[in-house]
Amino acid sequence: MRILIVEDEPDLLRSLAQALREEGYAVDTAADGEDGLYKAENYEYDTIVLDVMLPKMDGWEILARLRKTKKTPVLMLTARDQSQDRVRGLDTGADDYVVKPFDLSELFARVRALIRRSQNKTTNVIEIGDVKIDTAARNVFLADKPVELTAREYSLVEFLAMHRGEVVTRTQLYEHLFDENDDTFSNLLDVHVSNVRKKLGAEFIVTRRGHGYCIE
Amino acid sequence: MKLFNSIKWRLQIWYGLILVAVLAGFGATAYQLEYNQQMRGIDDELHRRFAVLAQATHPHPHGPNGQGPMDGMPGQPPDDMPGQMQPDGPGQAQGGSFHLPPQATGLFDASDPNGFYFIIEGRDGKEVARGGNVPSSGYIPFNPDYVKINRSPELKNPNPPPTFTQGGFRQVFDLTPNGETVRIGCSIAPQLKGLHNNAWELAGLGVIILLFGLAGGLWISSSALKPVESISAAAVKISAGDLSQRINVAEAESELGQLAVTLNSTFARLEAAFKQQKQFASDAAHELRTPVTVILTQTQTALKRERDAKEYKETVEACHRAAERMKKLISALLELTRLDAGQERIKRLKFDFSQTVGDCVELIRPLAAERHVELQSEIEPVAITGDPSRLAQVVTNLLTNAIQYNHEGGEVRVKLRRQDHFAVLTVSDSGIGIPPEDMTRIFDRFHRVDRSRTGMNAGLGLSISKAIIDAHGGSIEASSPESGGTIFTVRLQVA
Repeated sequence: MRILIVEDEPDLLRSLAQALREEGYAVDTAADGEDGLYKAENYEYDTIVLDVMLPKMDGWEILARLRKTKKTPVLMLTARDQSQDRVRGLDTGADDYVVKPFDLSELFARVRALIRRSQNKTTNVIEIGDVKIDTAARNVFLADKPVELTAREYSLVEFLAMHRGEVVTRTQLYEHLFDENDDTFSNLLDVHVSNVRKKLGAEFIVTRRGHGYCIE
Repeated sequence: MKLFNSIKWRLQIWYGLILVAVLAGFGATAYQLEYNQQMRGIDDELHRRFAVLAQATHPHPHGPNGQGPMDGMPGQPPDDMPGQMQPDGPGQAQGGSFHLPPQATGLFDASDPNGFYFIIEGRDGKEVARGGNVPSSGYIPFNPDYVKINRSPELKNPNPPPTFTQGGFRQVFDLTPNGETVRIGCSIAPQLKGLHNNAWELAGLGVIILLFGLAGGLWISSSALKPVESISAAAVKISAGDLSQRINVAEAESELGQLAVTLNSTFARLEAAFKQQKQFASDAAHELRTPVTVILTQTQTALKRERDAKEYKETVEACHRAAERMKKLISALLELTRLDAGQERIKRLKFDFSQTVGDCVELIRPLAAERHVELQSEIEPVAITGDPSRLAQVVTNLLTNAIQYNHEGGEVRVKLRRQDHFAVLTVSDSGIGIPPEDMTRIFDRFHRVDRSRTGMNAGLGLSISKAIIDAHGGSIEASSPESGGTIFTVRLQVA
């Protein structure tokens, strides 16, 4: 899952990015409104964490412009908890909001919920045959036994499971699993797929040659 | 009691009392006038009859004394002929020599129950003659002392003789020179009855007028005090917390209307002050939220697992920066609050402002060099009265802004000169300038033109500068010429 954070306070941006990366997300960052809008419009994100007060272009404007082309879930970070601000945010097309100062675990929960809703899932648990994926705890079980996966491997499994039955292209996987700092031309993806097959069974991920991967 | 504390009811009570007094006075006067008129009518009748009777008792009008009609009475009363009645018309003379003249018979009609009567008594109190409808009782009985007192010779007979009222009868007395008492009277019962009825009518009318008057008074005082009610209703709502309430001013011209207008403007100022205070508090909270968020996310992330020393150091540094920012914000807020409350004492020293400005320019020069901004100054000596360190704070703030909001290679000009009675300091920069829509708000607290939070002064610097200049009785304003850049002008009275 790939997330964009648009926030102008450098310390906050850095710690948010670090925390979300440690949660296993691929994280892109933008320190001002123009950069944020550019990235939001040009990359596929699973969620955008958007601050309201930004230099060059504020959060409302980014949201309004983005909504003309994309329906990427947006979580607004507001420093004002007056209801008119919240109402405005939700009316402009924000999917959720968090008031500063917030608790990191609450922010994570809201990000998870946004991603889940955007994939039309209602629970945190996805079951595929013997494999059970708990997206809240980020655990995978095979025949009720926990399976150790790296963060990247888990993200791969989660993304494919969320798009169960669909063929997911390599480009899509790169876009959602790797952030702007990763070298997308590497064959890292093949390594991750092969590791997941070793741990969850060779048939778990099906390769559609020339198209991509799929969980059936 | 609440009723008596109400102005309306007090007014009403006083008004009612005054109205009652006026009506009572008026009624009493009217009654008295009517009474007097009635009595005068009766007295005229009595005197007319008296004159006739006087003629009858003494046919020669001019006696030796020549002092009045009654002075011509016979010298000797006919004492020797008492008890004889002469049925000569309605009048009945008991004195043998007394004859009621024919023209007087109609004047003493015994058949009329309210008619006139006469009694003539001798010096010894014996009745000499009587006529007309003499009542059996009620009239004033003979009393020589009374007669003496009232008609003593020293009293120079007034003309006409006096009348008296007693027991429902009106009588006129006179004493002839030889001591006979002539008395003419009549019952005034019908007149008294009429007057009595009149009095009741007057009283009834008075009550009706009083009721109408009270109703009118109530209406007048109610309508006059109605604005007071609406004023107090509005004040109650305001004290309950609804500061947007205003008094409905129907007639701005009246005294209460003026009061309402004054109160409304007071309420408006109160509301504005409250709103500003609320905005200030909310802005202050808002400014504190971001550094708190930084500290929270930094520490929560760091504590999630074991980190190496470098990472911990970074976290601590970030927290330190956030805390520094909060410290600056809090001291700025405190300073503003103190300046607002007038607690911050502004010193009143006479000093050369050019020295302060020069020092500030030198202090800020490294920052200008760092930003590659050229700093030019043109400073003339001018003495002012004020607080040097506070004013230095203002100058530093203006210079810092001018450098921060400038572009690289730009320039900042500082000019201090004396103009009439003012020391005029201008700080102009070659930055992007301030959009006209922001110009009125740049001195507002927490207002920042670019809405970003990159500056560390959190948008309070200009507010503080303005507060300091205001406390010095000076003025500070900003302008952005078409050619670009911003000019801040500070005016302070010279010492």
